[in-house]
Amino acid sequence: MRRRPRAGRRLGRALLYAAALGLTAQAVLPLVWMLSTALKPPREVLATPPGLVPAEPTLENFARLVGETAFLAYLRNSVVVSGITVVLTVAVAAAAAYSLTRFAFRGREAVAKLVLCTYMFAPIMIVVPIYVMARGLGLVNTHAALVLSYSSFCLPFALWLLRAFFQSIPLELEEAALVDGAGRLRAVVHVVLPLALPGLVATSIFTFTLAWNDYVFTRILIASDELKTLPVGVQDLFSAAVVDWGLIMAAGVLITLPALAFFAAVQRHLVEGWGSGGLKG
Amino acid sequence: MIASLVAYPVGYAIWLSLHEKHSFFPAQRWVGLGNYALILADEEFWDSLRKGAVYAAATTALQLVAGVAMALVLHRAFRGRTFVRAAVLFPYMIPTIVAVIVWRWLLNETYGLVDHLLVAWRIVREPVVWLGVDHIMTSLVAMSVWQFTPFVVVSVLARLQTIPPELHEAARVDGAGAWARFVHVTLPQLRAVLFVVVLLRSIWMFTKFDTVWLWGEGAGAGREIRTLPVYVYMRTFTYYQAGFGAALSVVMFAMLMAATVLYFRLFWKDEETA
Repeated sequence: MRRRPRAGRRLGRALLYAAALGLTAQAVLPLVWMLSTALKPPREVLATPPGLVPAEPTLENFARLVGETAFLAYLRNSVVVSGITVVLTVAVAAAAAYSLTRFAFRGREAVAKLVLCTYMFAPIMIVVPIYVMARGLGLVNTHAALVLSYSSFCLPFALWLLRAFFQSIPLELEEAALVDGAGRLRAVVHVVLPLALPGLVATSIFTFTLAWNDYVFTRILIASDELKTLPVGVQDLFSAAVVDWGLIMAAGVLITLPALAFFAAVQRHLVEGWGSGGLKG
Repeated sequence: MIASLVAYPVGYAIWLSLHEKHSFFPAQRWVGLGNYALILADEEFWDSLRKGAVYAAATTALQLVAGVAMALVLHRAFRGRTFVRAAVLFPYMIPTIVAVIVWRWLLNETYGLVDHLLVAWRIVREPVVWLGVDHIMTSLVAMSVWQFTPFVVVSVLARLQTIPPELHEAARVDGAGAWARFVHVTLPQLRAVLFVVVLLRSIWMFTKFDTVWLWGEGAGAGREIRTLPVYVYMRTFTYYQAGFGAALSVVMFAMLMAATVLYFRLFWKDEETA
């Protein structure tokens, strides 16, 4: 085996660490800058030269955000809409995926293929029909319209994800439970669902991220301020005549936190979810 | 039921596209292929198509190069690797609105950090107006690459981990240098995953709405980044032409289908299972 000279190897290590540092910096520094700006008093936000560490850190921006804007209402709307969407989507997708893997019917493979096709869909391709349909049904300006849009948008892919997980659970386990006298429902709840947990987690992450981050469906379906979710609410703060950067960055920090916390909490399961393609956007 | 969930909106979009319809009022009038004839003659459509294609091609190419390079670094063993691997995903996990406001703040021409540093280090004489007519497409592309490259990193990294180390060892024994090993060992192994990544990323970048729309909102130069998805939105929700908007969506859909089929014809090989 050819051995590289020692100096060359050392240089290689140094370069590797420099690259790793660079990668971390490009990803994290913009967010650190957001946090830093959020903690600065208004005068300091616009100061030249800008400093990374606030000279007089303050929570003033956060206090104003909560006290003077509808931020808390947006937050509540986002939590409610994302929460209901996740529960609804995962429940329906799990039931459908179960039947797809356990009961044979004609066109099963075709359905699976069609579902995979929708992975390529982007919201903009269906917003026009969704909007006109929601208008026809009198659902415009309701959270129900958001939940239904997100669920129908996520369902095909959620189903496809879960199907892969259910397929990997041997039928024999279930049959054993059935032979032992458990009903089908009990067999599913006690045998199948626990084994499919990583799949359920991956599906929840996918659905939650889409609902939490969505901008376009809320923009077109929701008109009244008190019903808006975070991304649209914050954009409206941003579109004010004079942009209040400290306030906006504080809002940015608060929207990012739940997403990052969720991400950290499920990180262990994440690799598995990604392995099966739980990413989109 | 699931099948209808997919087919119904698409079918309804096609049905709508054959009508002249206001976005608010229920009345609609059958115009057959009239909307499509209008699209073909519409300067703005061709312009948005060009801009959308430029945006999709530039961002996909840059994401691919940056993503593979980053994955190669993260595949090596070093201390703190778990942390770096997680940190690199941040830009992809944060909501688009956050990515946009952070970068619009960093690139602000009066108070932004980037222009401040560029001037202080004498790289430029005058602050660059990143969201002005001349640079808004460049800054949009850069910001999009920042936001979406982690997808490429994750996909490529997952595949790198399954390449048997013996392949590299064998190449090393044969005297292949680092570059030769990358080209002759790693790249062929990555072929299948890159095939899928390029397909998905270019489709998703071509249909990207929120990032592009939010980048241009209130910037004054939004016209310079009016890509096809933004044009669909404007026709439907600014001019209230739901029929025309639906026809534009259908055209976009058809073009993607055609491009996908062509892509498979050109690059798909049977032995690949992606």
